[in-house]
Amino acid sequence: MHYPWWYVPMLTSPMLIAAVAVIHVYVAMYAVGGGMFLAVETSYAYRTGNKDYLAYLKEHTWFFILLTVVFGAITGVGIWWTIGLASPLATEALIHTFVFGWAMEYVFFVLEIVSAFIFFYYWGKLPPRTHQIIGWVYAVSAWFSLVLISSITAFMLNPGAWVDNPTFWTGFFNPQFLPQTIARTGGSMLLASLYVYLHATTRLRNHDPALMGLIGQRSTRPGLLGAILVTAGGVWWFLALPESARAALAVASTLNIMMAIIFAATIIVFLMLYFGPYRNPKWVTYGFSLLLFMVGLAAIGAGEFVREAVRKPFIIYNVVMSNQILPEEVAALRQTGYLEGGTWTRAYIAAHYPQVMTEDGRINEAALLELPESDRLEVGSVLFQYHCNDCHAVQDGLAGMARLTQGWTPEMIRALVERPEKARFFMPPFAGTPEEADLLTEYLASVAKPFPAGMRLGTNQ
Amino acid sequence: MDAPIGPASPLGYPAPYWFVVFFKVLGFTLHMVPMNLWYAGLISLLVTRLVGGEHGRRLSDRVLNALPIAIALGINFGIIPLLFIQAAYYRVFYPATILMAWPWFAVIPLLMVAYYGVYIYVIGPRKDKMNAIRRAAGWVAAGTFMVLGFIFANSLSLMGNIGAWVDIWQSANVGGAVLGFGSNIGDSTLWPRWLMMFGLALTTTAAYVVVDTGFFAGQESEEYKRWALGFALRLHTLGVLWTAVTGSWYIFLTLPGEIRAQLLAMPLLILTFLTGAGIGLPWLLIVASQRRFNRGVAFLIGLTQFGALALHAVSRQIVQNAEIAPYLDVTAEPVNIQWSPMILFLALFAAGIGLVVWMLSQVVKANRQPAAG
Repeated sequence: MHYPWWYVPMLTSPMLIAAVAVIHVYVAMYAVGGGMFLAVETSYAYRTGNKDYLAYLKEHTWFFILLTVVFGAITGVGIWWTIGLASPLATEALIHTFVFGWAMEYVFFVLEIVSAFIFFYYWGKLPPRTHQIIGWVYAVSAWFSLVLISSITAFMLNPGAWVDNPTFWTGFFNPQFLPQTIARTGGSMLLASLYVYLHATTRLRNHDPALMGLIGQRSTRPGLLGAILVTAGGVWWFLALPESARAALAVASTLNIMMAIIFAATIIVFLMLYFGPYRNPKWVTYGFSLLLFMVGLAAIGAGEFVREAVRKPFIIYNVVMSNQILPEEVAALRQTGYLEGGTWTRAYIAAHYPQVMTEDGRINEAALLELPESDRLEVGSVLFQYHCNDCHAVQDGLAGMARLTQGWTPEMIRALVERPEKARFFMPPFAGTPEEADLLTEYLASVAKPFPAGMRLGTNQ
Repeated sequence: MDAPIGPASPLGYPAPYWFVVFFKVLGFTLHMVPMNLWYAGLISLLVTRLVGGEHGRRLSDRVLNALPIAIALGINFGIIPLLFIQAAYYRVFYPATILMAWPWFAVIPLLMVAYYGVYIYVIGPRKDKMNAIRRAAGWVAAGTFMVLGFIFANSLSLMGNIGAWVDIWQSANVGGAVLGFGSNIGDSTLWPRWLMMFGLALTTTAAYVVVDTGFFAGQESEEYKRWALGFALRLHTLGVLWTAVTGSWYIFLTLPGEIRAQLLAMPLLILTFLTGAGIGLPWLLIVASQRRFNRGVAFLIGLTQFGALALHAVSRQIVQNAEIAPYLDVTAEPVNIQWSPMILFLALFAAGIGLVVWMLSQVVKANRQPAAG
């Protein structure tokens, strides 16, 4: 509304955020947990004088850099890129609240990059103590960047006192901050162990089994601790959810399935870690590691998906709604009209239908209903794009309206349009005039598919 | 029709405008140093490897070997201007990038291709096993970086070309929602702007070659060093000429008259002159270095090149503000200063620089000592 809306067929543009974010998290968590692993294990290898282990750790660091510094860094920037394109109003609010949080994260990023490259390229050239310190500089910097970004993502789910007292610190220490920080720290440790197993079994397949056993043994405890932290943080996360988010979690079947995947996959990972590398190090083969890794990714991916989805109908809870409207704007838009209130919708109507513009440059809502049918449908399409396309495709695709309203009568559609939040509490309210509700209804009725033929329901339909 | 610019954020700027724009310009200047190396440096050094003989090959391998690190730093340094541009210019930044959403989104996969392409390439010289795939990866990366430069020039020039937004939007939309395939190629400032950065990038690459020769090429022969300095002079000269031609094209043939008049009148005339003449100073020093060269000279050349880039960044900022000014006064938005986070950031920034300096000092120390453990 304040910004142009980007139409992505079938998928809807906000789903691009989810896609980039989930991919990024798989690497970003490893960037943190892997940093801890390298710092701890390098110190251990130096202390015990284990040259084979040091050689392996150097090789792992190269893999770590290739994955985290390139893929992780670029997809991290990619999230920013995508939220600016698909959720500009929410990004605007986040930037103005947390610009210094991100700026601090940037300082840690620089430290991470410099330390990571020195850690690798000066392996064997720095005195062991200095080398270990550089490793710890990376690990600590990476963890602080996790803390900072966890606070911002947690803020989106529950900004807490910030809504009444919008300062940086009330936003930073929001009710979801600690649970998400704990869960993500655990996720990082867990995922790092899974990456280590996968990398080690790939690279050391024909090497000394004793080294493989050592790696398996050394990485299990952090992995198990990570699983415990994920569980503890996850439970706390659930308890700190706003009531509507908990309700959304209970009512949406997709989210039910995702929650089941999270719990099942976490338990499986825990059991595989315990009975595998912890109790039976010889079980750790390439196939075992790959399976463990895939189950771990499933748990973390499902967790990220749920974290994104339970915010509905908000992008930032109680601050910015999913369709790029501020809650406090709804009442005014119902008076003046959504098309009139939106910068780009008003520009569109003024350019295409100058006959409905009043002398003082406002949209005459009643005149919109006098337009020919094709034009009314076009205006309805504008309302749909800007008000609904955040979550709904038109025809097929993500929650496509043609399918969702299949067989509906115009009266049913009109009732939904007028009070979507009454039909589904996780929908945002309609922020337009009755005339705009008519136009949107007409448009949705025009795209709705007919009642499917061939069903025997025992009625006269 | 009025320009479709949305309302100001009720939250206000988190810092005074001058603070935001200072970090935006500083961040962009820092970003330009490594960015220039991949933008024009990569392609020019790939060519040098082909036609520069033994020394050209050696120089190309030396500089490109450091490129993965430069790319990592460049991406990171790009975060700060990206952050602060959104803090103060959000009302024009978001619409401009959304209008060309797909090319803007494509930056992410393209950057990935280019970055991994560079890694694949540098493995060749590192292991002394260059092959066709690695060579191809290098050229693909170089071409991709050029395309990326064009996308950036496109979106950032569209930010200032607010008068063209409505036409771009109307030309391709579904129910008023943009399809995201817009571009600013109708803007005559785009082409010289894109090409001017290429010229500037050639000069930065040349300056880097001098710094590399002065500080990091201790084990190379004197003959190589002389050749490298001569190469740097030729490359810098080419860059200066290129920048002069495209810069003149930009200012005198494409820039709107009112903005040109501002740049060529006092007090901005001084800045405009310094910006144009700025890259002359490192050039003069490189000329002088052909006769007498030491680390001090190399450092001065690096420093003056950084200064030239900083002047360009300041001038670009002034032009951007002048382009936006008829539609939006970015200095007039409400300000709600976040004092304690700002101070904490500045303290962390200073501590971070200190830590980086300490880590680099360890590297220097290690370079001077025989290998440990």
